[in-house]
Amino acid sequence: MIQTNLQLDAKGLACPMPIVKTKKAITDLEEGQVLEIQATDKGSKADLAAWASSVGHQYLGTVEDGEVLYHYIRKGSNELEVEKTFEHTVSLDELESRDGFILDVREAAEYAFGHMEGAISIPMGELESRMDELDKEKELYVICRTGRRSDLAAQLLANNGFTKVYNVLPGMNEWNGKISKEV
Amino acid sequence: MSNKVAIIAANGGMFDAYKVFNIATAAAASEKEVQIFFTFEGLNLIHKQGMHALEMPAGKEHFAEGFEKANVPTIPQLVEMAQELGVKFIACQMTMDVMGLTKEDFVDGIEVGGAVTFLEYAKDAAPTLTF
Repeated sequence: MIQTNLQLDAKGLACPMPIVKTKKAITDLEEGQVLEIQATDKGSKADLAAWASSVGHQYLGTVEDGEVLYHYIRKGSNELEVEKTFEHTVSLDELESRDGFILDVREAAEYAFGHMEGAISIPMGELESRMDELDKEKELYVICRTGRRSDLAAQLLANNGFTKVYNVLPGMNEWNGKISKEV
Repeated sequence: MSNKVAIIAANGGMFDAYKVFNIATAAAASEKEVQIFFTFEGLNLIHKQGMHALEMPAGKEHFAEGFEKANVPTIPQLVEMAQELGVKFIACQMTMDVMGLTKEDFVDGIEVGGAVTFLEYAKDAAPTLTF
């Protein structure tokens, strides 16, 4: 069970209904939130991946459980190139030679479909309330998909007394190393 | 990349209807602008009575069961959905005159136009599909 913001039941529906229902459901989400689509149409996997890329959402992946396909899509992933303001950064290459913890602030579903081995998962939206799970004395390397959310997360942590915080750039979208999955 | 899809519906059977409306709704759901030009037998697909009684091709009637089993939406449902998603229906004036049909014979919300109306729309559409 992957944590999402909204679940859509499209089971038993034939093409093009899963797409039509998904289009309607995703309008209820905020940008960056994740939708789970439950479908039995075997074609929905290829269709939803193609649909997401054509309209600018991020297709995260699909889990099959018996007859049911669980698809995960994150709304509006076309993140604008904004200036990253947190000054302490490390590159993906440097990261491998560093000690400390990797904090992955992407959504739970993004983490589930591929993250760095040993990375801790706390989605950006939960960071404020779950900060006490982290050790203030340890080096903390914050990562997301493109470096935008991790920039904000690093600022938030620094403002709350974390002194050894680094934003990892660019992010998981450029990571070619080993990947762990929860699905 | 063009954001417009242009479809010509020139045949009036049930299979034709599914090809037309599935592609149209899928395109509209993908945030494309979609127009369908209904001409000759294609006018059946949006005819108020006709669209409820579209025929299967001869010898293919046994597929009716398959349609039901696959839980495929009915044509009137797809027509409604397409319109809800903003698909524009254009009925061919010339064919309507030949067949003695008026705008009132068709589902609400259609427009009537000639070949040039469609060509003007389709000139920068990609893809243009004919069924």
